[in-house]
Amino acid sequence: MKTAAELKFGESGIIGDIDASHPSSRRILEVGFTPGQEIQLVNVSAFNDPLAFSVRGTIIAIRKNEASCIKLI
Amino acid sequence: MKTIILEDLPLITLVGPPNSGKTTLFNYLSGQNYKTVNYPGATVEYSISKIQKKFNFNANILDSPGIISLIPNSPDEKVSVDSLYSHPMYGVPDLVIATVDASQLSRHLLLVRQLIESEFNVVISLTMTDILQRKGYEISSTLLGQKLGCAVVVIDGRTGSGVEELIRTVEKNIEKTKLSEKKNPIVRDTNLDVKYLLSSFKEIESIEKEVITLTNKSDKNINLKKANKQLLVLNETIPSANQLDQPTLKIDRILLHKVWGLVVFFLIMAATFTSIFWLAQPIMELVDSGFGFLSYEAINILGNTWYGNLIANGIISGTGAVLVFVPQILILFLILGLLEDTGYLARGAMLIDKPLSKIGLNGRSFVPMLSGFACAIPAILSTRTIPNKRERLLTIFIIPLMSCSARLPVYALLLAFLFPADKAWIAGLVLAGIYVLSILSSVSIAGIVNKFKNKIINAEDRSSFILELPAYRKPKFSMVLSNSYHSAKLYFKKAGPIILVLSTIMWFLTYFPDYNPKVDTQNLTKDQAVELQSSVRLEHSYASDLGKFIQPVMSPIGMDWRVGVSLISAFAAREVFVSSLAMIFKVTDDKATLQSSMLREMRKATIEGTGQRLFTPATIAGLIVFFIFALQCVSTLAVSRKETGSWRMPAIQFFMFTILAYVFTFITVNGLRILGVP
Repeated sequence: MKTAAELKFGESGIIGDIDASHPSSRRILEVGFTPGQEIQLVNVSAFNDPLAFSVRGTIIAIRKNEASCIKLI
Repeated sequence: MKTIILEDLPLITLVGPPNSGKTTLFNYLSGQNYKTVNYPGATVEYSISKIQKKFNFNANILDSPGIISLIPNSPDEKVSVDSLYSHPMYGVPDLVIATVDASQLSRHLLLVRQLIESEFNVVISLTMTDILQRKGYEISSTLLGQKLGCAVVVIDGRTGSGVEELIRTVEKNIEKTKLSEKKNPIVRDTNLDVKYLLSSFKEIESIEKEVITLTNKSDKNINLKKANKQLLVLNETIPSANQLDQPTLKIDRILLHKVWGLVVFFLIMAATFTSIFWLAQPIMELVDSGFGFLSYEAINILGNTWYGNLIANGIISGTGAVLVFVPQILILFLILGLLEDTGYLARGAMLIDKPLSKIGLNGRSFVPMLSGFACAIPAILSTRTIPNKRERLLTIFIIPLMSCSARLPVYALLLAFLFPADKAWIAGLVLAGIYVLSILSSVSIAGIVNKFKNKIINAEDRSSFILELPAYRKPKFSMVLSNSYHSAKLYFKKAGPIILVLSTIMWFLTYFPDYNPKVDTQNLTKDQAVELQSSVRLEHSYASDLGKFIQPVMSPIGMDWRVGVSLISAFAAREVFVSSLAMIFKVTDDKATLQSSMLREMRKATIEGTGQRLFTPATIAGLIVFFIFALQCVSTLAVSRKETGSWRMPAIQFFMFTILAYVFTFITVNGLRILGVP
């Protein structure tokens, strides 16, 4: 299954599941990355990490490692 | 932080996610007249104030760091959540005002729901409805209130309209609850549950769909454009009101760019540090010469007596030494505040998260490190925003290496000694070099400590970086100005007394025992006679006795007891070094600025016995190196103890940085001498 970390610049996807075993999973849910939400990779930081996603009308920067726990449909 | 507040006043606590307009609302309610530890970069402690008189409602209002849920993720969020359940000084709030950004409704209602379910008495302050309107949507606050079961008041953050209505709503609400027993909020573990979180979001989304509707009033052209865009991103689960701010996306393309992003980042940092020096310089000179004049006048009026000397050399010079660097602190706080208000600091943190994570730090270490250039104390406090304990400790560890503003007066004096006034630009360049060196050394020390630590502690690495990038906006200058003023005032209040007391002690040590030497004044001008007399006096002073102990340590680095005494006094606060030197090299016999007459005296000074010049390019360079590394600040050690919970960290910091400073100074001074620099 594709994860948010594998999205290309400008590409969108719909969240299918959040890997609950990841230590940051609760916070990722709390900031709005929930199943069913459409997210878009809107920016990538200068060193290719962290990644900036649009979710629920805002931009949230998270590390690649954390983005990999966001599973897309 | 202890403020006298009447017990029987109702307590209203402000909560809300970051970037929800919480601080703006607090400023409206308090009239910006608050007691606070509110530093740029992060509100890390609570602020408390009475509601402004004009609102005619007597209550205390408490502001604390932004949270997105009732389960804290970092120490600063814990401060907020703890103060909600039971504030250590003010108890349980009578009412909670939750700020909610209307354009971020589905995210921000999560906290509100948790608050309501924990049976807090909640009133919602709904902000940024204008942004929603510009997107062509409107929100029904009454319907939202009905759905949630609490009052909702719309506030305009720019004009302050709605604040009056909010107060009246709060007042009514408190009147009503007064009749019933005060309930204690419920701590709910269910908040932890992922399923619970998801069902919360589901409910919130259905509420959102009902309360936010398309407006017909808005401009048709805009609507058409919007409709087209919506077709592209149309998705049932996302209400289309959730559109991103397009200019923000465009600006970010540049500011987070692989090349341009880094170029802008370094330009902004460079501009920040040079402006601290250049902008503050004229004001500093004004303050400096003002106090030089006052000191001179005091001696003239009071005569060359002990009390005249105490006032002129002890109190006036000491106060001058404090006030002289207030402009620099103010400017740095101002720039930091502006950068934060525009939304850039979050981008800066994102940009350097990757490199910082390589050395065991976090992108969130960026703001604390940057604040460290103003003062280590607020910087250490603001590390509370770092969730990971190891990263937080490492950030605290290296913050004292950041070139804080207290070092500026020292560098200013030493550089002025090395470079004549007409070549001030060289001094500016060297100063920039000092900053670069301080950054490089802190980064390499962090890297080394991190490697070392990894071997000792096999701590689970739960490093995390999750940060909202708020939409760019024009900074509210008046609010930034007022926050900088508060920060500078706080800093002055804290450092001021220490410096004043130490200047007085230094004065005492250099003046007493009141020895009046008989010197042969034949063939000498009046000025020369005064100088000879004061230098003989100093040799018989208590400071000199004290200095004899330090002499063996000072000799290897080419300095004598006078510098040693100044260095010791600088352990109370670095800037005291300048005022101590000023006490030792008496400089009130002249109408010129304190600095120029002091420099003249310093150039003449020789090491006793050898007749060698005390201040040479080599020893001055050595002193600069010493100040780059040494942890000469009692307050920093105290804060480090408080924030890390034991004396271990401050002890390691103190010994490691001081030993490093001494070793590097030794190498610098003797290395330069071997190379033929005097």
